[in-house]
Amino acid sequence: MQARQQHNMTRWALVLLVTLGLVACNKPTEPAKTASTPVAAAVDTFTVLATSDLKDAQPLEKMVEDATGVKLRFKYGGTMESTEAVQTGQAKADAAWFANAKYLLSDPQGQARVKLQEKIMLSPVVVGVSESQAQVLGWDKPEVARKVTWNAIAKAAQSGQLKYALSNPATSNQGFMALMGVVASAAQKSEALTAADVDRAAIAGFIKGYKLVGDNSSYLSEKFIEQQNTRVNAFINYESWLLSLNQSGKLKEKLTLIYPFEGVATADYPLMLLDDAKREQYQKVVAYLKGDAAQTWLAKTTLRRPVNAEVAKAQASLFPQDSMLVELPFSTDRALADGLINAYLNEFRTPIASTFVLDVSGSMNQGGRRQQLVEALQYIAGDDASLTGRIARLTSREKVWMLPFSEQVYASTYFQLPGLSKSAATGKGLAIQADSEGKQNVLGQVRDYAENLRMNGGTALYDAVLQALVNMNEERQKNPNYQYSVVAFTDGEVNKGRDMAQFKAAYAALPEDVRAIPVFMVLFGEANEAALKDLVATTGGRVFDARKASLYSVFKDIRAYQ
Amino acid sequence: MNKAGKAIVTVGLLAIFGAAAYFSLYKTGRQPASDTGNVLSGLAGKLTGAVPVEEISGLIALDVEPYFQDPRVQKALAANGFKLNVQRIGSRDMAARVIPGQTPDFFYSSGVVAANQIGDAAKKANIATTVYSPIYTPMVIASWVPIAQILAANGMATEASPGVWHADLAKLTQLMLDKKRWKDLKGAGAYEVNKSVLVSTTDVRKSNSAAMYLALTSYAFNGGEVVTDRDTAQKSAKAVAGLFKRQGYQENYVNGNFDDYVSIGIGKTPMAFIYENQIVSYAMAKKGLSPGMVLVYPQPTLFNKVVFVAASARAKKLGELLSTNTELQQLAVDFGFRIADSAYFVQAAKATNLAVEERLTQVIDPPSFDMMAEMIDVIAREMAQ
Repeated sequence: MQARQQHNMTRWALVLLVTLGLVACNKPTEPAKTASTPVAAAVDTFTVLATSDLKDAQPLEKMVEDATGVKLRFKYGGTMESTEAVQTGQAKADAAWFANAKYLLSDPQGQARVKLQEKIMLSPVVVGVSESQAQVLGWDKPEVARKVTWNAIAKAAQSGQLKYALSNPATSNQGFMALMGVVASAAQKSEALTAADVDRAAIAGFIKGYKLVGDNSSYLSEKFIEQQNTRVNAFINYESWLLSLNQSGKLKEKLTLIYPFEGVATADYPLMLLDDAKREQYQKVVAYLKGDAAQTWLAKTTLRRPVNAEVAKAQASLFPQDSMLVELPFSTDRALADGLINAYLNEFRTPIASTFVLDVSGSMNQGGRRQQLVEALQYIAGDDASLTGRIARLTSREKVWMLPFSEQVYASTYFQLPGLSKSAATGKGLAIQADSEGKQNVLGQVRDYAENLRMNGGTALYDAVLQALVNMNEERQKNPNYQYSVVAFTDGEVNKGRDMAQFKAAYAALPEDVRAIPVFMVLFGEANEAALKDLVATTGGRVFDARKASLYSVFKDIRAYQ
Repeated sequence: MNKAGKAIVTVGLLAIFGAAAYFSLYKTGRQPASDTGNVLSGLAGKLTGAVPVEEISGLIALDVEPYFQDPRVQKALAANGFKLNVQRIGSRDMAARVIPGQTPDFFYSSGVVAANQIGDAAKKANIATTVYSPIYTPMVIASWVPIAQILAANGMATEASPGVWHADLAKLTQLMLDKKRWKDLKGAGAYEVNKSVLVSTTDVRKSNSAAMYLALTSYAFNGGEVVTDRDTAQKSAKAVAGLFKRQGYQENYVNGNFDDYVSIGIGKTPMAFIYENQIVSYAMAKKGLSPGMVLVYPQPTLFNKVVFVAASARAKKLGELLSTNTELQQLAVDFGFRIADSAYFVQAAKATNLAVEERLTQVIDPPSFDMMAEMIDVIAREMAQ
């Protein structure tokens, strides 16, 4: 499976959230398009741009066509790109289907793109806790579980009783809504929250339990299965994912689902018509999707809750029943949202420490590859204040080692971003701090470093990755309060240094705890896809494909996993 | 103009707000997908018989579009000699279509004030018009039994007849303005949550039903008087702005809060301000009422009237027909509307297990168009902050 297609289901939501408030600085400004109507590939086809978490709904293509004659075709995209595409009128689809469209639709431009909308199914964001740990916490008792608030969840995380997996709060709806739940619960109110209401200690406590980071539910599920009850004992995600995991038989033990009291955020999967000329097909598709057959299928197969009340009644036994799901209102306060994301990245989150393993072999001089690498590095050290830019950007406290290699592994260069001046995790309120001079200096050094990279020689990738892992593991012994990873980048076959077998042998000889350091491998140029996949299968991590997407957009994706 | 007269005239003023904005966002799944406006023409022509068929052109509001798309309605019209050629536009845009020599035979607009604007335009153009109001629907709060019971325990609601609740608008508004939370209320056991007591609406900047809610809450804030001057409008709007702003994100299509009410339920939407015909037609389509769904009628409430403006002699006949023809009237009930024969409406609603108020006595008129626009401006500014 290609990395590009594996975006988290709702990360677009946050993209929009921030792009609404900020102007993208690094990208050329696109002229406002007026009334651009997406053109379908064929007249009788109804194309739906869907986020990749809806891949499990693909059988609907045939079901819809058989029932209505409408040739429904999904095309899947990352949520960031998809949302931006809809907002800018570049979706090239007749309709769009996202888990949640509140951000898109709270923006006038996004609103104008959507001609009709209809909610198709529901899934709340909930907390799945390993049954044994739920017992420890007393949350196995329904009467207790019913009243567990986000504040109680944060406290359990702070005390070390809850170690959870969660998709990135800066890029995903689930992650962001979990933070908002903690904010609301600690502030003892759910409406009209503002930045001033944010209890920083509560957020900091909650983040203490954040042990498994990622940006997509498939990746997180896989890692969760591996690490359940060793590194993590809880998973915060959509109910549908957690119910599916419980049914999969792959868990070490089942998860007890906790629906945070007064803090449920429900994804409602609106199907949005973009091309008014396709209204008739849209209505046929919607009528079918909301009908008994499709709703029953969606409930049984994907474990999302039906919106059709009759089907919901009939399929009620699929879903836990005993709690009333009190919904957390979705705050439209942008200062709060922006401030929360910013504070998460620069203050609350476990800071990132990573080694960038950079291929500076001679082949990098071809076809503008060197330039792409330089630009990608300059991008993460740049000053792009757009949403995507902010997530990609090096954050306060972050540690970076640049480790170039070609024939051999060269000396690494170390950069550390200074922390915020104000001490974290105390008091109330959020204010986005401007970059300190110190931070600007380090960012400038990273950009200069990238500019000065020179390319020649062969490709000793495995040696370089091994050295990066050894270095990271040593650093980790010295300072465990960082989140360590290796980002490795190559454009060709390994032809120098260790081969794969030798790498694996050397890796096996490393201390056991190196396994907690994932390797994010970027596939570029003529790199050997199968070999890189083999490598990450050994080390943990994943492969990101930069052969079709721009390198900096792939770096951006990787940042959400770090 | 006396108060009662003004009430009639201005009821439904608000229907024009947002009608255009929602124009394209509406009618999602509420009608057979194959329907288009063009189906209307031609059908009558195929009929043969004693009745000569007249083609008649009209502009209609989205409220009545599903009605005119119903084949039974088309057949009944044809049987009475009418073949309609209609186009749906926003009620607010209708007055601009009064053009000498190009005026359609009729307008079927949402709200009395839109109709008045059409009438004024027609007068200026020396076109005689006649007004009919064949159908209407009251504004209601769609809620849940436990919620109605909590309101009752706190002296602001009563069960007027089995399953039909009345809420004291003044008390309820005050409670919300005081930022009370559900758990602060007496007997809140079934809904002992930290959430503020709020009625959910669609976006007041775009939505007619939310503007109707503004009309009601400003009336309550203003001590039971309709807002009639600018200062009061400003003051009232500022006071009730929180009732909108504190809701957080609001769906911006016409069925948004109703969809949340029926599909997500009491946890998200304990109270939703809707047109009665939304839930009645939903219930009639047997889409499945959940247990515990009840209607709470604010005391007083407002009507949303659908007004037929005839601009030609044959359109007058049509207006007459829509108002008096039993079959055409009763078919409107299938879309949840109330008609002159209230017993028929009540009977039809009863068959759905949804209890409706049989006779609404406490009904007020919204403020004038200018006052409403003033208040919406104030709230839009507050919400943008």
